Amino acid sequence: MGLFENLDKIFNVSLIYATFRASTPIIYAALCAALTQQANILNIGTEGIMLVGAFTAVAVSYITGSWFFGIIAAMMGGALIAMIMAVGHIKYNSDICAIGMGINMLAIALTKFLLSVMFGTTGSFANPDIIPIPRIHFAFLENVPVLNDLLNDWCFTEWFVILFVIILQFLFYKTVWGLRLRAVGQFPMAAQTTGIHVNAVKYQAMLISGLVGGLAGAHLSLGYSTQFVENMTNNRGFMGVAAMYFGGANPVLTSVGCLLFGFSDSVGARLQAYGLPAQFVLMMPYVVTVVILAISMIIKLRAEKKRESSLITNEARG
Amino acid sequence: MREYIVEMNHIVKSFGEVRAVRNGEFTLRKGEVHSLIGENGTGKSTMMKLLYGMYPIDSGEIIINGEKIEKLDPKSAIAHGVGMVHQEFMLVNDLTVLENVILGFEPKKGLTIDFEKARKDIQHFIDRYQMDIQLDKKVSQISVGEAQRVEIIKTLMRGVDIIILDEPTAVLTPQETRKLFEILANLKAEGKSLVFISHKLNEVMEISDRISVMRQGQYMGTVDKDKTSPLELTKMMIGREVFLNIDKTYSKVGGKVLEVKDIWVSSLKETSKIRGMSLHVNEGEIVGIAGIDGNGQSELIEAITGLRKVEKGSVILNGQDITNKKPRAIRETGLAHIPENRNTRGLNHTMSIEDNLIAVEIDKEPYTKGIMMNVDASSKYAEEMVKQFDIRPTDYKLPTSALSGGNAQKVVVAREVSMNKKLLIASQPTRGVDIGAIETIRNTLEIAKKKGTGVLLVSAELEEIISLSDRIIVIHEGRITGELAANEANENNLGLLMMGGEDELEKGETES
Repeated sequence: MGLFENLDKIFNVSLIYATFRASTPIIYAALCAALTQQANILNIGTEGIMLVGAFTAVAVSYITGSWFFGIIAAMMGGALIAMIMAVGHIKYNSDICAIGMGINMLAIALTKFLLSVMFGTTGSFANPDIIPIPRIHFAFLENVPVLNDLLNDWCFTEWFVILFVIILQFLFYKTVWGLRLRAVGQFPMAAQTTGIHVNAVKYQAMLISGLVGGLAGAHLSLGYSTQFVENMTNNRGFMGVAAMYFGGANPVLTSVGCLLFGFSDSVGARLQAYGLPAQFVLMMPYVVTVVILAISMIIKLRAEKKRESSLITNEARG
Repeated sequence: MREYIVEMNHIVKSFGEVRAVRNGEFTLRKGEVHSLIGENGTGKSTMMKLLYGMYPIDSGEIIINGEKIEKLDPKSAIAHGVGMVHQEFMLVNDLTVLENVILGFEPKKGLTIDFEKARKDIQHFIDRYQMDIQLDKKVSQISVGEAQRVEIIKTLMRGVDIIILDEPTAVLTPQETRKLFEILANLKAEGKSLVFISHKLNEVMEISDRISVMRQGQYMGTVDKDKTSPLELTKMMIGREVFLNIDKTYSKVGGKVLEVKDIWVSSLKETSKIRGMSLHVNEGEIVGIAGIDGNGQSELIEAITGLRKVEKGSVILNGQDITNKKPRAIRETGLAHIPENRNTRGLNHTMSIEDNLIAVEIDKEPYTKGIMMNVDASSKYAEEMVKQFDIRPTDYKLPTSALSGGNAQKVVVAREVSMNKKLLIASQPTRGVDIGAIETIRNTLEIAKKKGTGVLLVSAELEEIISLSDRIIVIHEGRITGELAANEANENNLGLLMMGGEDELEKGETES
């Protein structure tokens, strides 16, 4: 069975949605990281926040029978975890990477523990009583060939992420809060002298980041799938952080980075069906992470070097 | 009406162990220019930062417009009409000038910032005080003088009537200083009250109505400008008379130690890129580099010392080509370097005075024996240096973080000068140190020169350049705009060259 005879089955229209579907959880995670990055806080705890969100969403959806309450609870849970990090970092001045990694390990252990205590199970928890986030069906698209495959039956949070990227872009670059956030991140002293409460802005950024991280988790466990699996975030939080670096914490560029991850993920899944070893396929997103970060750093360094060189006369001069 | 719009009484402020202000007093009348003078580190800036609410006071009282203010932060200070132009500009480099000006006081239109209204409001001040600034440039792209005007507009936009200026002329050329003083005169004429922090007596004598002096955190008194003299002020500042003028007995100038041939060096900032610079330093002479901060001084020094890549051209030290060699190899060839920032490149703050003193020769006899350090030898050397350079405290086992700016700098100077290398690079050797240490450091450079060392001196203080150098090279935007012998240099001709020379100025005028 040749891989190359089946290229048209791998690269077809449905790959577009598959890519987007695989990217969405990472986009939410990346936006979670971008929010704090604008305040110059590296949110390495994105992974943990997301995992707690995923568990909370499943638990609350199962208990209340409402996906909406599941999402809300997940966001609250994410915010709580983020605030623990914020107090440690901002008030007690401890290293954000150390707290973040602590949070990530805590999240794995905590969700595993609660899974066993609350549902008496290990490994994973799936149940028909878990109400997923609804999919949006457009009846009028049913008979339109390509668009039906492309746009129908998207999960609610998949549509929302597009809107959310635009909202954040607007928030960062057009509003008072965004201007202050960027000023706090780049030169806190300057922000302070204009009467801005630097720590208050940092707490706000962490809080909102926690809410978004929780939402990322809820989408993963109630939208992307309908179950909770131990460590189900599977490094998507870290990929989000990588994509955030790739996009310089700019929401739109960051999302582009996430789409690359999603693309490699879904192509990999398809290649597996054609005899590519599973281990190799599982490796792909991480290889892509390393390659993308390396390429973006090289491009950045090259541009910087060119900008700094005395031998080239820059147009912008004067 | 009350006599004073600001009264600060019995102010005390400590930072950890350090008593920055022991007994601070300050008053301000409406519509006056009141200068606050004193040496570096005497608490002038701290006093004014307290008035601006940057830190809380430990004890004492602050009264603004008759109201005793209990809790003061920058926001409430601004609300009480106090604005401050900081010594280090409080501008965010990656934001535009416009964004920086409105930061903290943004006009809103619905959910968004009303940039059009902001633009109109700022234009009003630009027209009124004739301050040319470019609103859409990023701060990283504008000049120092312009950045300062942005800071002034920032305070005006907040509607303040008391403006504190913390050493505003330190980064300006004499010509830019004139322009600033014109703006200040306009502000005063409109009834604004100004606080001018400085240690340049000629400037203080020119623009003040009253002058207050601080020494070691203590208030020393206030005098009317008309009833005092620079001499009296100096005595108040340091408690004795000082003679900074160095007796320049010309020693014999020998052969070339350093030769820089048409070098091109990269930089983050466009105006700091070096584009074709050639110069040389002979044995037994001090060559001064004059220029406004950020015109390539740091890049030139880094290029010579191997800390920054030379993109084109060559550097010859002691007859050997050292272009793009490792810093260590260059030092071995015969270079000593007092770096411009002692905190990041001059000292290891967690290590002792002793360790810092031998840092450059730590792997050589007698400080090392086989694989072991010889502590006896280094202690003996440290003891000698502490005595010779009057480093206080004298306990050389203390970490250098325990030292004041002046004494920390003496450690760097002692280490570099005592190696007796052929070339000594002294970059801002007296920046941020007290006047006693300035005396010591300048004399040390003079002695090194007489011993036959070639000295390349970079300083932001024109007075330092003029009094120490034998030859003065002036640079502007990474190019040499002129070279003068010490006896023909003065603030006027140097200032002109620092602005780019006459050609550049004429061109600028016809353009605008």
